[in-house]
Amino acid sequence: MFMENKASDGEQPRVGVYVCYCGMNIASKVDVEALRQFAEKLPNVVVSRTYKFMCSDPGQELIAQDIKEQKLNRIVVASCSPLLHDATFRKACAKAGLNPFYFTMANIREQVSWVTANSAAATKKAKALVAAAVARVAMHEALEKKRVPVHADVMVVGAGISGIHAALLLANAGKKVYLVEREPSIGGHMGQLDKTFPTLDCSACILTPKMSEVKNHPNITLWTLSDVQEVSGFSGNFKVKVKRNPRFVKLELCVACGQCVEACVFKEGRVPDEYNIGLSKHKPIYMPFPQATPASVLIDPNACLKLSRGKCASKCVEACDRAAIDFEQKVEYSEVEVGAIILATGYQLFDATKMPEYGYGKYPNVYTMIELERLVNAAGPTQGEIVMRDGRKPKRVGIIHCVGSRDKRHHPYCSGVCCMVSLKMAHLMRERIDAEVFNFYIDMRTTLKGYEEFYDRVLHDGVNFVRGRVAEVTDWAMTPGEEGKLVIRVEDTLIGVVRRIPVDMVVLATAMEAHDDADDVRRKFNISCSKEGWFLERHPKLAPVSTFSDGIFLAGVCQGPKDIPESVAQAGAAAAEALSLVDKGFVEIEPNSAWIDADTCSGCKTCIPLCPYHAISRDEQKKVAVVNEALCKGCGTCVGACPSGSAQQKLFTDQQLHQEIEGVLNYV
Amino acid sequence: MSSLQIQVRIKHQEELDPDFANSIAALPGGENLSRCIQCGTCSSTCPVSLYMDYTPRRIIAMTRAGFKQEVLASNTIWLCASCYECTVDCPREIKVTDIMYALKRRAMEEKVYPKRFPTPVLAKEFFKSVLKTGRSNEGLTVTWMILKTAPLNMLKQMGLGLKLLLRGRMALGVEKMEGDPTQIRRLMEQVEVEEKKTH
Repeated sequence: MFMENKASDGEQPRVGVYVCYCGMNIASKVDVEALRQFAEKLPNVVVSRTYKFMCSDPGQELIAQDIKEQKLNRIVVASCSPLLHDATFRKACAKAGLNPFYFTMANIREQVSWVTANSAAATKKAKALVAAAVARVAMHEALEKKRVPVHADVMVVGAGISGIHAALLLANAGKKVYLVEREPSIGGHMGQLDKTFPTLDCSACILTPKMSEVKNHPNITLWTLSDVQEVSGFSGNFKVKVKRNPRFVKLELCVACGQCVEACVFKEGRVPDEYNIGLSKHKPIYMPFPQATPASVLIDPNACLKLSRGKCASKCVEACDRAAIDFEQKVEYSEVEVGAIILATGYQLFDATKMPEYGYGKYPNVYTMIELERLVNAAGPTQGEIVMRDGRKPKRVGIIHCVGSRDKRHHPYCSGVCCMVSLKMAHLMRERIDAEVFNFYIDMRTTLKGYEEFYDRVLHDGVNFVRGRVAEVTDWAMTPGEEGKLVIRVEDTLIGVVRRIPVDMVVLATAMEAHDDADDVRRKFNISCSKEGWFLERHPKLAPVSTFSDGIFLAGVCQGPKDIPESVAQAGAAAAEALSLVDKGFVEIEPNSAWIDADTCSGCKTCIPLCPYHAISRDEQKKVAVVNEALCKGCGTCVGACPSGSAQQKLFTDQQLHQEIEGVLNYV
Repeated sequence: MSSLQIQVRIKHQEELDPDFANSIAALPGGENLSRCIQCGTCSSTCPVSLYMDYTPRRIIAMTRAGFKQEVLASNTIWLCASCYECTVDCPREIKVTDIMYALKRRAMEEKVYPKRFPTPVLAKEFFKSVLKTGRSNEGLTVTWMILKTAPLNMLKQMGLGLKLLLRGRMALGVEKMEGDPTQIRRLMEQVEVEEKKTH
């Protein structure tokens, strides 16, 4: 019988089994007392106990006491998932002087009580799992966690408000930070906004000081127009390759005087301005926006005659008395080593043309919210004057909430911020041009500090609220009053009647969505994302800024829709997590790495390309595969693939797995 | 089988009165009209909402949106018993009962009220009595109300009337205030003058 096998270390196993009630979580389905009695009779089991909460201090103390008094050398806890409490019980064993890897867990909560309807069946399944754990633990070996030193620098990817905040915190803590931004300037979406809710602070006024702080911080290396190309390594020791696109202007020389822009052979702007969402055009050589950081012009190589066709009078070069323009700049690659990475790559806005019923792109007076942000902004294309594409000033404005959000055909989630953005904009339209404003909403979501009060204020501003999802925006008039207007058709669900409301301007509060290339990015950094494309946190409650890849943290909207205060708070959390990693000086590595039995390895190289962490190489002298333990994540791919069974993994040896399987089958 | 009634129900913006909400909100008690979040507390707490064609919440929504015709023609405003439950319970401190009074007055001004319905008649008779005598003469007020709305009910109510008379709860005679009863009239006239000044 398998039970009579000697333990891995030659000692006679003395197993203690501890069955947890988990309050009623387990005990309501599994007959824990029967399970205890069953475990007691299993071979090698010396003691078997139940307890209300094994993870509590008294629960852990129970184990420690038995280890000492009953001379236990193997521990099995039948409770929740090892993800939750593996570390807890390992520590409890270690405290009592037992190597923590002489412990294993049987998951009878997530895998039994929570998912089994029938009580008898649940108890039976729990018994099988406990029998398996008892059989397996006999084969466990004493292992040691490895410590690997970490690199103290941190990389922050994305320089919107989240990235900026995280970078500044780390830099102020004395860490060297690489801040990578793909646009020509830092600032992100926040730099495009006019005012911020609910306090109506001017967005630029609170953002630009932080932008210039980034620029001037001795600990921050800022790379704009740059993209992360490749990430390798592991927590504490990442290697990152960054592609740096040419600006064609020497950053260190340019003072953003604008002489070159004046001198450009193009007299008018040619290229739709991204910062103004295409509401204005800029020349091939341009300043992204007045407060752009770094404060430097750049050249769009596709629009510039010199760069695209090779011939141009190059008036800009003549105009620049600092000789900052450099057509010869090429793409550069920089490779850096960092201990932690914070992803703050943000979001993009839903493309409103995907909902043709709202007429965006068809009717010139249908705007997206971000376009209106630029229109009302004093630094925007109209210097803050709210004039529509047809040159008129709107007297009546309809703001449509949830465009692309809460819609299974587009995005099932609530973008969270659009209600407040729409309320803020309604307020601005009342205040600035005294327009009559209608807000069309499904539910009003004003949940955070000061938001409901702001809603109350806007209600009292005299803004009209119609609860109902707009079906259509049309220019087809049914009545004389609708002639020449955009008509919004909506059910006023609170009154119970379908209404047609003619307006001059329609504003669409478009959803926040993950970047089109979010999937490429997450692959680069080897993290997961939700099905909507948001980067996935390790735990929604207890590890909200960590990812499943140790050492990579999330800040801001790339993890899911959020507003500025939430983004900043999360950026702070990510910075703290990164700091606690790089400041510690080392990382501990789970000793579940693979190893190759050099005596039986045939050197077939099957495992080498399969390893997702590039941890296996070939020893050309001995002609066998070798695992780099520092890189190995213990995924087991090589173990499964090895044709000769030479690849083995600690904590998952063949012996341990066979015993576990036999444990289950013997019971069943 | 009776044929289906089909009529146009859509509401065009031109059919609405853009000033209606403001005119009601400007009256005493109407100041928080715009702050309504349509929670429906007023409707669920109202003891007579079960008879109303529009619930009080909907009346507020329609008033705010300018549905003047529908609001003033609704039975809701006349069924309101002025118990003030809605006003007490409203989380936005909207004086719903006062708004109902404002709407009633407006309906009477615009002459779209149900003329034989007891509530407006009672209100008018009560006001008349006070104006004339300086006192609320219940016997007289009630008698006129019944005569003007449903005279045949006079017979039905005789028993109750007698009991009230015997127990001294109602008097048939006309009481007058001490002193000069025209004081009241002058007072009310002055109120009207002041009101006109503010509007």
